[in-house]
Amino acid sequence: MEFSLLGAVFVAVVPLYLVISWEARRGNAASCARNLWDVALAAMVAGLFVGRLAAMIGDGVNPLMNPADILIVRGGVATGPATMAALATVAWLGRSAMLAYVDGLAAAALAGLAGWHGGCVVRDSCLGTPSDLPWALAQEGSSVTRHPVEIYAAIMLIVAAIGVAQWRARGRPLPGVPAATALLIAASARLITEPMRPSLGTGQRWWYAAGIAVAMVALVAAIRRGTGTDQPVSETK
Amino acid sequence: MRSLMFLPALVLALAACGGSDVDISDVAELPAVGGNELIAELAQSTEPVVVNVWASWCVPCRSEAPLLERAARQSSVRFIGLNVRDDQQGARTFIAEFFPEAPIEHYMDADGDVPVELGGTRGVPLTFFFAPGGELVKLHTGVIDERTLALQIDEIAAG
Repeated sequence: MEFSLLGAVFVAVVPLYLVISWEARRGNAASCARNLWDVALAAMVAGLFVGRLAAMIGDGVNPLMNPADILIVRGGVATGPATMAALATVAWLGRSAMLAYVDGLAAAALAGLAGWHGGCVVRDSCLGTPSDLPWALAQEGSSVTRHPVEIYAAIMLIVAAIGVAQWRARGRPLPGVPAATALLIAASARLITEPMRPSLGTGQRWWYAAGIAVAMVALVAAIRRGTGTDQPVSETK
Repeated sequence: MRSLMFLPALVLALAACGGSDVDISDVAELPAVGGNELIAELAQSTEPVVVNVWASWCVPCRSEAPLLERAARQSSVRFIGLNVRDDQQGARTFIAEFFPEAPIEHYMDADGDVPVELGGTRGVPLTFFFAPGGELVKLHTGVIDERTLALQIDEIAAG
């Protein structure tokens, strides 16, 4: 059996949990931190399920005829549908105070994504397209040096996670703005690094570009809504 | 809540209703191959070769098959499919379902010893990446993902 994917998931879940706990201690989401963790886990499972179904259908495999294949997550998960399902799950489970929930998960989700990309070390899958840059790495036994592309993504996302968490702790941003910003950063990080990932032509660039567009619309809507009502984030809960 | 519990039952029922109607008449019988024979063929190859070890009873093999089919169509390296511990009927049905047009040469190893002789294990799926001349560059165990496949193809093509 091959457990490196499970290891990478663990590397992703740990920072997710740590940031939720850290934010709870800082008073950002004290009253719903326990719920946030449950919602985050439910969103991950929903995202994996829908993303796997979408990947199977995209590959021409009928999930009804091959239900066991759904469990073979390593066979591929479509990022776009997975993200939409995860966001929909958060919106539905946190519908009583949706903006507080999505904002509460913003920094944690970025940290979790950073962990997922950093988990490439466990999966031995950090390398991308060839590069001559001084920090480029070669895989064992090879002379071809390559971009450690997943490390780039992990660094971008962890810096963004810390920034969003600090911003929420100190800046008291308008409701919905941290979540929209986090989506914008996550989609941008993926889009920027995507050309450095080896691919067989099924790159997800359009999904990431769509994610950026949706995030910008959400950002403008959140700012307009927030400035209209002048309601600080802590009072939305 | 009861309606939610009904959903898995419905999915299972629908799955059970589905029958296999794959036509295998266009799929040729798979030639048998031995370890030494395949090693010799790889040694004589002037192009990089990807050898994927699969079986029709292997669920993860079904999962990675569409990716391998796409890769075989797109990339310039040679693809060999090594069917292990299987029968002709099952193997041909699998090929008709997943690799009907893909430029992949399939062989059968009924005992499943060849992957071990190539330097692998008895588990499936396995994917070997060989440089021209038959040097094993990388062995991937388990289901392969697009990134890993693309990276290793790039490695053996560059090598």
